[in-house]
Amino acid sequence: MSKMKEKLRKLNFQDVVPFVAFIVIFLFFTFASYNSRTGTFQMLTLRNLNTIVSQAMITIVVATGAMFVVAQGSTDLSVGVNLALSGVIGSYVAYITGIDWLLIPVSLAMGLIVGIFNGVIVSKCKVSSFMLTLAMLIGVRGLVNYLQTFTDVQSIPGSLSFLSNSAVKIPLFIVILVIMCYVFEFTKVGRYSRAIGENETTAKFVGIPTDRLKIIAFALSGLMAGVGAIFYIINMGGTSNQMGSFLEIRVIMAIYLGGVLVTGGSSAKFYKILLGSFSIQIIITGLALIGKSDVQYSQTVQGLLLLLILFLSMLAGSRRRRHVEHLEVSEEAGKAKVIDRK
Amino acid sequence: MSEAIFEIHGLNKSFGSTHANRNINLSLKKGEIRGLIGENGSGKSTLISQIAGLYGSDSGEMFIGGEPYAPVDAYDHKISMVLQELGVVGNLPVGVNVFLGRTKQFTKYGVLNGTAMRKAAAQVFEQWDLPMPPLSARMGDMLIETRKMVELARALSVDPNILLLDEITQSLSLNNRQKLYQLLQKLKAMGRSVILITHDVEEMIEITDTITILRDGEVVGELVSAETTPDQVKRMMVGRDISGDYYRADMAPDYREQVALEVKDLTVPGELEDISFQLHEGEILGFCGLSDSGIHAVGKAVFGLSRPSAGSVRLESKNMEITKPMQALDNNMGYVPKDRDNEAMMIEASIRENFTLPSLRELTGPVAYVSPKRMNRLAGEMVEKMSVKCTGIFQSVSALSGGNKQKINLGRWLAKDLKVLVLDCPTRGVDVGVKAYIYGLMKQAKQEGIATILISDELTEVIGMADRLLVMKDGKITREISRGAEFTEQAIIEVMI
Repeated sequence: MSKMKEKLRKLNFQDVVPFVAFIVIFLFFTFASYNSRTGTFQMLTLRNLNTIVSQAMITIVVATGAMFVVAQGSTDLSVGVNLALSGVIGSYVAYITGIDWLLIPVSLAMGLIVGIFNGVIVSKCKVSSFMLTLAMLIGVRGLVNYLQTFTDVQSIPGSLSFLSNSAVKIPLFIVILVIMCYVFEFTKVGRYSRAIGENETTAKFVGIPTDRLKIIAFALSGLMAGVGAIFYIINMGGTSNQMGSFLEIRVIMAIYLGGVLVTGGSSAKFYKILLGSFSIQIIITGLALIGKSDVQYSQTVQGLLLLLILFLSMLAGSRRRRHVEHLEVSEEAGKAKVIDRK
Repeated sequence: MSEAIFEIHGLNKSFGSTHANRNINLSLKKGEIRGLIGENGSGKSTLISQIAGLYGSDSGEMFIGGEPYAPVDAYDHKISMVLQELGVVGNLPVGVNVFLGRTKQFTKYGVLNGTAMRKAAAQVFEQWDLPMPPLSARMGDMLIETRKMVELARALSVDPNILLLDEITQSLSLNNRQKLYQLLQKLKAMGRSVILITHDVEEMIEITDTITILRDGEVVGELVSAETTPDQVKRMMVGRDISGDYYRADMAPDYREQVALEVKDLTVPGELEDISFQLHEGEILGFCGLSDSGIHAVGKAVFGLSRPSAGSVRLESKNMEITKPMQALDNNMGYVPKDRDNEAMMIEASIRENFTLPSLRELTGPVAYVSPKRMNRLAGEMVEKMSVKCTGIFQSVSALSGGNKQKINLGRWLAKDLKVLVLDCPTRGVDVGVKAYIYGLMKQAKQEGIATILISDELTEVIGMADRLLVMKDGKITREISRGAEFTEQAIIEVMI
């Protein structure tokens, strides 16, 4: 019994809240979507689950890159506009050259360039990433709007339309997910990024090239925005005027909802992206299923939910602190063992 | 001198199931300087916090001048304290920090009269002969040492009858320590009493009248400083014999011919000027000097953390210049910074993350794979090897005591195949046991041929451990002394000042 208590106490409350939230949201909308006429839970139909996955896909793909930036304790608000810019330029180049496959490398390169730009400015000029990417969010959106006055809305090049087939799209998505998860969880880049989020001075004093890692993180974030652009075009069948708007908010919200702290560091774990992204997507789809699809409902609920989770995390944080204090004190008071010297 | 100004009878305090203090009795005379000593976790800080009113007491009584004393507002009873942890507000100016919580006296119609307050603050510094900091500057921009002095000024500004000092000397450099010693004498002459905590046994015997020794929350003895020896104090602290000398026994330099690191004409604007020295394999090279002498800047510069305007740091074994910290990390160098909690540790992260951080490159396998299993193994081995007291490798470092944090700070470098190790105040704020352990590790590293730079504010430590000693002043090396007859505190202080 006491062992179990011990285990429970060790469980990080902050990590548990997002799980509980996800399950509650899922169960709520499952039961709320019960259709008494057909006797089915609409939430659980294959078609609906498919919709949830394919809509969450873009958020997830982009978040896997932005996660590196968040882990370092920074923010990337430019992923939405970066996605739009990459997609618009990529498909325009494919259109004017007539070489369909160019869409992919050009979109990726474009995303990467914007990311590297962000990274270089943030690390070399020591500006706040929030300010810089906010400026990008506004400025680049203007650029996209301008470009779209003469590129028009492009539909997906014919020879690439096979990508929108679920049998191709979903394996592709999973491969990307696995690669990014690997880089984040099992390589130096991911570990160093979290170290920077924990304590940048420490990272620097240990000898970690912090500037280089910041550039890498923003570059990855940009690159994944480029990948996101391709997924967007596949999913939607082409570019659009509203491409990528509010995506940055959804991405960041997914990461925070998953339980990552704004300061990044050790709290940044890859699975939290999935948890957060699906939580949001289930709310959006769920509201639509119970006939409350209007934007105002959906956004209000998302906002309230974020507040609630924020509040719970704060509560958890203070509880954890108290727990730590208690530990410190009991160590102070406990018998300090004399260290055996050899 | 015989009048007891302050008395404690049977004070108890427990946190949950652990007793922090058990039946403490203490009597303090007017004009007495009382030392409080014990290992990490013996209840010193708890006791001093109880006196200051930061913690309540479960049972027991305190008397001040014969009157029962319940420390609701210690200031009203002219008791003030300087805490172990920094108690300043970084975003406020220095002047405000001196009168923190008591700025009302300078307020009229809700507006703070800054000039009057700064004037009063300046008066405090002058009155007690403390080095004057820039009073309008932001507190957070000051060195730790200056912050400590501001806290001291704050404590003195209430004109205390009893001053409580918790581990203040460890953050002070030599010149400010001297100031503090003078201050203590002054307070004594004025008939004020002081209770102070320090881990440095020799220092404590030097500056106190009487010493109370605590072990596991109980008073195990009271000694008259003039009649005791460091060994006796240490023995009472740990409850068994502790080998008297934990420093080196030999009195001659002893290192290999091979140069490990060569620093040539290194100049960092505003910090260092024309620094040149050679560091040999198996050598411990000591650096000492006053707080602004640049000794700490040497450590940073050697590890590639500064931007020198001239000169070079060469790693001989690799025949390469170190200009970036990454090069130092990749070429078997290690750096233990002075400010452990802010510069060395990832406080919220686990013991594993902290132990493995400098070794990730070595732990990386094919396809850039950093195996969690190997990380666990390394952290587990190091926890055992360094006897870190913890519940497991996934425990957060924030829950560890200072001594255990320092073991991680040092141990994570010793897990690597090091060539050069830079130590900046490696025994700051750790108790005698851990201190002895750290010196043991340094001796072992020396045996293995690791070249060590030892930067320290504690002269005894440098004298006890170094083969050669470089004395610095104003960013320049003023003297080189080799281990031998000249290796005395007296001789070194003369050069330093």
